[in-house]
Amino acid sequence: MSILSLSKKGIAIALSAQLVLATQAITMAQAEMLGTDQAINKYTALANRNALMDELQRAEIQAEIVALGIDPAEAEARLAALSDAEIATMLTQMENDSAGADVVGTLFTIFVILLVTDLLCLTRFFNFTRCIR
Amino acid sequence: MHPLTLVFRRLVCLLALCWLAACAQPFDPDAQLTIAAPTRAAVKGVPLIQQEAFYCGPTSIAMVMQWAGADITQEDVAALAFSPGAGGTYLADMIGSSRRLGQLAVEINDFDQLLAEVTAGHPVIVFQNLGLGVLPVWHYGVVTGYDFEKDEVYLNSGQLDQMVMAFAVFERTWRRGDYWGLVVLPPDQLPATTSETDVLSAAAALEQVEQYDAAVTLYETGAAMWPDNWLWQFGLGNARYALGDLRGARAALRRARALDPSIPEVRANLAFVESELAG
Repeated sequence: MSILSLSKKGIAIALSAQLVLATQAITMAQAEMLGTDQAINKYTALANRNALMDELQRAEIQAEIVALGIDPAEAEARLAALSDAEIATMLTQMENDSAGADVVGTLFTIFVILLVTDLLCLTRFFNFTRCIR
Repeated sequence: MHPLTLVFRRLVCLLALCWLAACAQPFDPDAQLTIAAPTRAAVKGVPLIQQEAFYCGPTSIAMVMQWAGADITQEDVAALAFSPGAGGTYLADMIGSSRRLGQLAVEINDFDQLLAEVTAGHPVIVFQNLGLGVLPVWHYGVVTGYDFEKDEVYLNSGQLDQMVMAFAVFERTWRRGDYWGLVVLPPDQLPATTSETDVLSAAAALEQVEQYDAAVTLYETGAAMWPDNWLWQFGLGNARYALGDLRGARAALRRARALDPSIPEVRANLAFVESELAG
């Protein structure tokens, strides 16, 4: 009986705490309308990232990646390491390349550029590079 | 300003143009363009306004807005854009003042976009250096047309006469301005060459300068063009809310939720509006 009442009390406390938290969460969310600008930035960046990830899954791109001696999973990790701005720049380049074959080229430009900047000690993108000082 | 100074300015400008024309190479549309632009295009009805001293920026915006039917003078724009200490108008203030006047303003930056916009019937404000790199003479003008066959670009350039430039000369003066161009349109029209995201951001910028009526119009225009993207309805809901139109806001946010039920921002704002309507 006492165990039962204790557990009931526990449930009551847990529930009321949850209620308070939930109410607070709603109050916080409703303090003001969420701005359009932030939503545009957030979801555009997300869409860009997904579009590039989709490109990376294409068979011809996968073949290129393997030919370069990079594990496709590692290529994904490298893409994920780019900032929103860098991804937007890559996508713009790809859109400007009229021929579809150039998509492969653009995707790899970033790897080559980062390889060179790594070697010049400007970046540290690839694990295998030793920069020249 | 002393009359002689004005004459001298004109002379400098003229000399610079002569020099540019003398050493300019012919413009090659094939090398500069990746689109198939028609041989010629012209935007009708852009007024020619004689600019006050240093007011080329405000005058350019006034010409484009008058073309679109607005009742506005270069002085009206100058109050929002001109920097007297600098003796000119900054690029950012060209964009900002257009938005504070309720216009859709988006940048362009290459020949493809410039010619495609003109072909679509939109005048384009361009930033030029009519002088040299070391001796810059910064200037804003409005491109209203071009003709490949005659090798001419037509500008309303702050004088009562239309300015006609050879393509090569125009290219050089525009290149020295980093190919900066600005499309300024009323919010019920869309640019021909800019991305959906650029237009969305321009609409959100209208909200930020509290031009909510213009923002509502632009969100509606964008939603008609890109009906699958919930962000237009989200922005429309937010702008209508700012105008006090709670029912309109709720309708737009519901459409946004229908387009993508997974977005927390949409659900939060919808709940917010609904609670205000209930309370």
